[in-house]
Amino acid sequence: MTLQLVLMSGSWTSAHRRDEYLQAARLAIDPDRVELELDLTPGIAVADVVLSEIDVDSDGMISVAEARAYSDRVLNAIALDVDGIPLRVELVESRFPPVDSVRNGQGTARIHAAASMPRLADGLHHLRYRNAYRSDIGVYLANALVPGSDRVIVAAQRRDLYQRDLVIDYQLSGQPAPTTRRGLSVGVAGALILIANLWWRTRTRQREDL
Amino acid sequence: MHVPFRIATMTGLALSVVAVATVPAQRGATSPRPSGAQADVTARITSSAQALLTKLDDAGRAKVQFPFEGPQKTRWSNLPSPMFERQGLRMGDLTAAQRAAVMELLAVALSRDGYRKVTEIMQGDEVLRKQSSQGPRGGGADPNPGRAGAGARGGGRGGPAFGEDQYYLAFLGTPSATTPWMLQFGGHHLAINLTLAGSQATMAPSLPAAQPATFTVEGRTVRPLGNENDKAFALINALNTEQRGQAILSSRVADLVVGPGHDGKTIQPEGIRASALSAAHQTMLWELVREWVGIINDGFAEPRMAEIRAKLADTYFAWSGPTSNGSAAYFRVQGPTLVIEYAPQQGSVDHIHTIYRDPTNDYGATFTK
Repeated sequence: MTLQLVLMSGSWTSAHRRDEYLQAARLAIDPDRVELELDLTPGIAVADVVLSEIDVDSDGMISVAEARAYSDRVLNAIALDVDGIPLRVELVESRFPPVDSVRNGQGTARIHAAASMPRLADGLHHLRYRNAYRSDIGVYLANALVPGSDRVIVAAQRRDLYQRDLVIDYQLSGQPAPTTRRGLSVGVAGALILIANLWWRTRTRQREDL
Repeated sequence: MHVPFRIATMTGLALSVVAVATVPAQRGATSPRPSGAQADVTARITSSAQALLTKLDDAGRAKVQFPFEGPQKTRWSNLPSPMFERQGLRMGDLTAAQRAAVMELLAVALSRDGYRKVTEIMQGDEVLRKQSSQGPRGGGADPNPGRAGAGARGGGRGGPAFGEDQYYLAFLGTPSATTPWMLQFGGHHLAINLTLAGSQATMAPSLPAAQPATFTVEGRTVRPLGNENDKAFALINALNTEQRGQAILSSRVADLVVGPGHDGKTIQPEGIRASALSAAHQTMLWELVREWVGIINDGFAEPRMAEIRAKLADTYFAWSGPTSNGSAAYFRVQGPTLVIEYAPQQGSVDHIHTIYRDPTNDYGATFTK
């Protein structure tokens, strides 16, 4: 997968934080892959501390190399495992806002990472996400997205108080027929039964008439 | 002899009914049919928008008009300008007559309560502007979310600009009674995204927020989102211990999960299912939901409420935080076509962000294609 690093000209953040570093994670589970989206928003009072770790040459710009290095640093503090099997989290893309908007406490960096899942049997599994990055100033959100695959059903989400740690219990099943097709199949079966029934009735009546 | 016939007939009919019912349900065909009354509402909103356009000069019309499809559609935020760079017609740049025409348009497009909410959010920002111009104030809310020392009034030096002048109006597409267009109105702590197409309309996504959340205007206490707060606390406190155990999450929720910039993201629902609530509690839940759904003109709010209520079995209510009113607590109502979040910022009851979404129909995705 091609790695993309994008330096944004604008920012869509909603945050009004001051002395906190909001780290909001969303996890999307597929049968063979898990996607992680992480939004990082330092508040105004901690922005300079965070920026010193991103803009390491202090030139007021976040270069592609700096964005990549910082993304790796964050991802190194994140652990993902499924049923206790560690997953290798790889950076897919990262987007960083202008330095000024980070300084204003309004800039959000977005890191998109992914990990391949091992081959898993059908049944209940547990994906665990732990974020230990900047726990001194961090506040965390961690949520499962509704899976895109109908082979995956999220059963429960269990978190620690601060949402640094999230366990997603999910059910993995074999390849089911899509619901629409299933509905149509049931309908076709019903129609066939009706036709057979009418044919049988007609034939019986004809025999009785004879 | 006839019994097997009947069994077979009934089985066949039942299976056929299941099939017929399944396919349209998957297409979301459970939504109430739009009526002529709704088309009339769109016609009135359109007339009001056209009346405003006649009051603008060419430059004003150029400022307010955007293509229906383009970056403006998702360009909204709760942040103050110019930290968030808004485009469109700025209220502070309008004449009194033009400004009155904008407010008249909002009064037509929104319900009475929706209009009250929007104007109170703007009043709150005016209070923030006055407080900021008088220097730091007491209390937990942050009157200046920008750099320390940044000018508050005019947004000079890149600082935030507060006040009723700092709200923007935009039309995406040409106002029309039949073809899709969008009315955007927003500023600090407010984003109204109203998409219309003949008899259909949606106000998702929208963001009503408030700071301060309680203030006084001419001796009257104003709480723009007070009903939302009070109805939610009433509901959580009406539940029994077991129900509360299902509704209350074990973790703190620090902010909106699907706020600005999170279009198209559907999180896994959590909390207690609406179907596990008593009829009285369900009514309380729907009245809470109505605080967001009912911002739009009543003609569109009622069918939308019916659509949401029809999905009761898959609607959830989740809570995080203390349950005594006056505390800072987060809550979420989520169903197949609905996400509402209410998130006090940094533990302050005086600074509230909320979001209203329809994961299946943000920006009228289902009826503007």
